[in-house]
Amino acid sequence: MLKPTKMTRVVIAGTKDTIEPVISTLHSLNMLHITDYTEENEDFKIGRPLKPASKLSEYLLSLRAISSQLGITGKEPASKQSSKELPSRIDEKITELQKEVSSRFDELRGIEFKIKEKEDLISAVKPFFGLPLSLEAYQGYETIKVYTGFISDDIEPKLLKITNNYELFTGEYEKRKIFALFIPKTYEDEIQKLLQDERSYVELKVPELKGNPPVILDQLTNEVSTLKENHASIRSELDTIKKEYSDFIMASDEFLSIETQKAEAPLRFATSANAFIIDGWVPSKKYNELESRLQESTNGKAYLTRLEEVNEEEIPIELENPTPAKPFELLINTFATPKYREIDPAVMLFITFPLFYAIMLGDVGYGIILAGLALVIKNKFKTGGLNALASILLLSAVLSVILGVIYGELFGFPLFNIEIKGHIEEGILGIAAPAIAGLHLPIHRFDSVQSLLMITLIIGILHISLGLIIGFRNVTIGHGLGHAIYAKGSWMLILIGGVVAIAKLMPSLMSGSSIRLNDPAIMAGMGLALIGIILLIKGEGFISIMEIPTLLSNVLSYARILAIGLSSAGIALAVNTLSMDLFIKPDHVLLGGGIGLALVGVVVLFIGHLINLILGVLGPGLHSLRLQYVEFFTKFYEGGGRKYIPFGYNRKYTEE
Amino acid sequence: MVDPSQAGMVAVGAGLAVGLAGIGAGLGEQAIGAAAVGAMAEDEKFFGKGLLMTVIPESIVIFGLVVSLILLFVF
Repeated sequence: MLKPTKMTRVVIAGTKDTIEPVISTLHSLNMLHITDYTEENEDFKIGRPLKPASKLSEYLLSLRAISSQLGITGKEPASKQSSKELPSRIDEKITELQKEVSSRFDELRGIEFKIKEKEDLISAVKPFFGLPLSLEAYQGYETIKVYTGFISDDIEPKLLKITNNYELFTGEYEKRKIFALFIPKTYEDEIQKLLQDERSYVELKVPELKGNPPVILDQLTNEVSTLKENHASIRSELDTIKKEYSDFIMASDEFLSIETQKAEAPLRFATSANAFIIDGWVPSKKYNELESRLQESTNGKAYLTRLEEVNEEEIPIELENPTPAKPFELLINTFATPKYREIDPAVMLFITFPLFYAIMLGDVGYGIILAGLALVIKNKFKTGGLNALASILLLSAVLSVILGVIYGELFGFPLFNIEIKGHIEEGILGIAAPAIAGLHLPIHRFDSVQSLLMITLIIGILHISLGLIIGFRNVTIGHGLGHAIYAKGSWMLILIGGVVAIAKLMPSLMSGSSIRLNDPAIMAGMGLALIGIILLIKGEGFISIMEIPTLLSNVLSYARILAIGLSSAGIALAVNTLSMDLFIKPDHVLLGGGIGLALVGVVVLFIGHLINLILGVLGPGLHSLRLQYVEFFTKFYEGGGRKYIPFGYNRKYTEE
Repeated sequence: MVDPSQAGMVAVGAGLAVGLAGIGAGLGEQAIGAAAVGAMAEDEKFFGKGLLMTVIPESIVIFGLVVSLILLFVF
């Protein structure tokens, strides 16, 4: 919690005959972050991959080709396959599968090509429906030239000027005029020129087929449908193969990936003629396990050394947090991985992120729906980023329900009875709100804007102060106390002093009465802020004065917690008023406008709340995150650490 | 308290405070946002920094918002 996992640098050395057991032990332990060996010298070279590497990657390549041809996608496996049995099956199955799948795939390609060809022919034949000739009549002449095409003008008068020795057929296809002209080749040049001058002329190529166009069309259509049937049957064969082998392919893919990873591991080691050295990091508390397991698998032939003197920049970072706060590491890593000695703020995010979110959303109905949604996502994705996001959403949604009770809002409708201008408006529950610990519920958001604004600003001041305190600690550890006082202490003084002074000044500023500067609290506050400013200038230079307004904007920025909440509640209220007063209950009579209008009202209600719900995920989520990243993190967080990636694999489809 | 005849002007002022500030911030953010998305396309690690840079002009809207809230609810 708060600090990344403590790491120990470990160097493992051994003779080359133990390299395989060492690699497979390390891989199954999944705890050593290997530092790649890059500087070759006379004694030590980068290792060579183990023998099976090239064969394994070949297999992997053909397997991936098959799986992409079959369109196999990762899903949750029904059962895990044992990796002891897989190798023997992989050998025989992959060649067989490849043959079956790729031959069928080639066939599919061939059929698709033929279908395309036939369809092109069909569209070429169709225009000739308009002419009373069979297709062979257009070709095979020695002294006659044939022109066919679309044309909108009558060319006969122009033809007659050239010669009367011709035959012209005209017709219509899809409301365009079509013609076929048979004329001796001696007039070729003149006709060419004549047609070129006709703007509406579009040449048509006669397909090289024999027979009447309608007959040919029938034949072609039949051929296409036969081809399509073939295509479908091969596709279904492929689907059967896919169904049958999908589990096997996913498992083999995983198995081969793991084996390739192992076989290629020596590329990260330093090796001499007869020995190898692995340099890496292991979480300190796991060191003993690593040592004993390695000794066990090599009969004591591997040598482990712990190195005490380390360069902090090189330590890989593994965040360590209690399970509930674990999903929030995603938000930290999205921003930046912390450095080894920095505070890991995941636990603080665990508290503040859902809190800000809930204060913004604060509606029982939306909260319940989002919680349900989060549960569904969590069930569907058991690991990974989406699971973490769903966990965050779940927590935020549950808190939103609680805040919704405090605000007394359910889809924007009042949850409890509230008194407006003397008469009591009945809420959904039909009861008056309970008073908890002297606080009279509900705190209606539109009625208490002023006090809620105060609360959000106080939250902001506390949040920023927390950031500055962590920053103070980080700088103290990194650069010493003096630096910390200049860099962070100064800001704390300005913040506290400023807040005290402004809080005292505010009432008289608001009421417009004269300001009494000799109030001790104001004097003290201004004094503190002044000391802070002096420290700041001393530490960071004169230009840092420019930064001071940022502090104000940072604090005011927390007003967005109220603003987003008001807009969300406002949209809900608008949707409710619109649908209830206009459609469902015009003039306070249920179905007063008839069933039709009531249905319109229901649609408006549904769509309105759906939009507001989507906004309710995006708005509060992003703004709550922004407050963390921009207002909070900038006070202390540097980041730039390297992530801890242990040598190993999280098995999903296979087991050892 | 404001004279009832001036209440409308107060509301208009509050609207202008948020609206104009919003337009200004939007103009400022467009260039930064485009650049941030570009940087993120190069390297996803820029997400955090990109978001941070993009929302800097937003504080202007918050100032506008606070002004309008004060106009509406405090005066």
